[in-house]
Amino acid sequence: MTIATYVLMGLGVGFVFVGSVGLLRFRDIFSRLQASGVSDNAGLGLILMGLILHSGWNRHDITLVLLLLLMLITNPIVTHSVARSAFVQQHREESDR
Amino acid sequence: MQIIETLILCSLAPVLFLLWRGPSAWDRLLAYNTASNRIVVVVCLVAVATRETIYLDVAIGYAALSFLGVVIISRFLERGGGNR
Repeated sequence: MTIATYVLMGLGVGFVFVGSVGLLRFRDIFSRLQASGVSDNAGLGLILMGLILHSGWNRHDITLVLLLLLMLITNPIVTHSVARSAFVQQHREESDR
Repeated sequence: MQIIETLILCSLAPVLFLLWRGPSAWDRLLAYNTASNRIVVVVCLVAVATRETIYLDVAIGYAALSFLGVVIISRFLERGGGNR
């Protein structure tokens, strides 16, 4: 159990750092959205799964599972909303010219 | 466990740099969303490490409120508001 916890958390931290590098290196807002949305969802989800395994079967678990479900649902919605907003505004500026 | 917290807090530095530099408003919005997600996970790690269950409820409230804020600000920007 401990080994599984550390493997999941190590993988999650690796994903989070890859997402940070992508956030700094990419040049476009859509590329940055892709780097952040994909790797943060994977990395933070893996860290939360490791935390659920670590804390064992008690009252923490249902709250952590709820939080994991909330993040897995809301992160794609946020990514889609920001991308749609940026795309619509850039298209409007181009059509004004 | 503490090393995971330290690493996530270190990975918050490039996100804050993007929040400062971000050429457009959407970059800053994205940086805000990423930073709040990571802070939620750090709060969960602290809660499990110190066995304070109440911090998990704080984390759920923070996640829900940051989601609402980001969606509302992006809708506001989509309709042409704000000073970019």
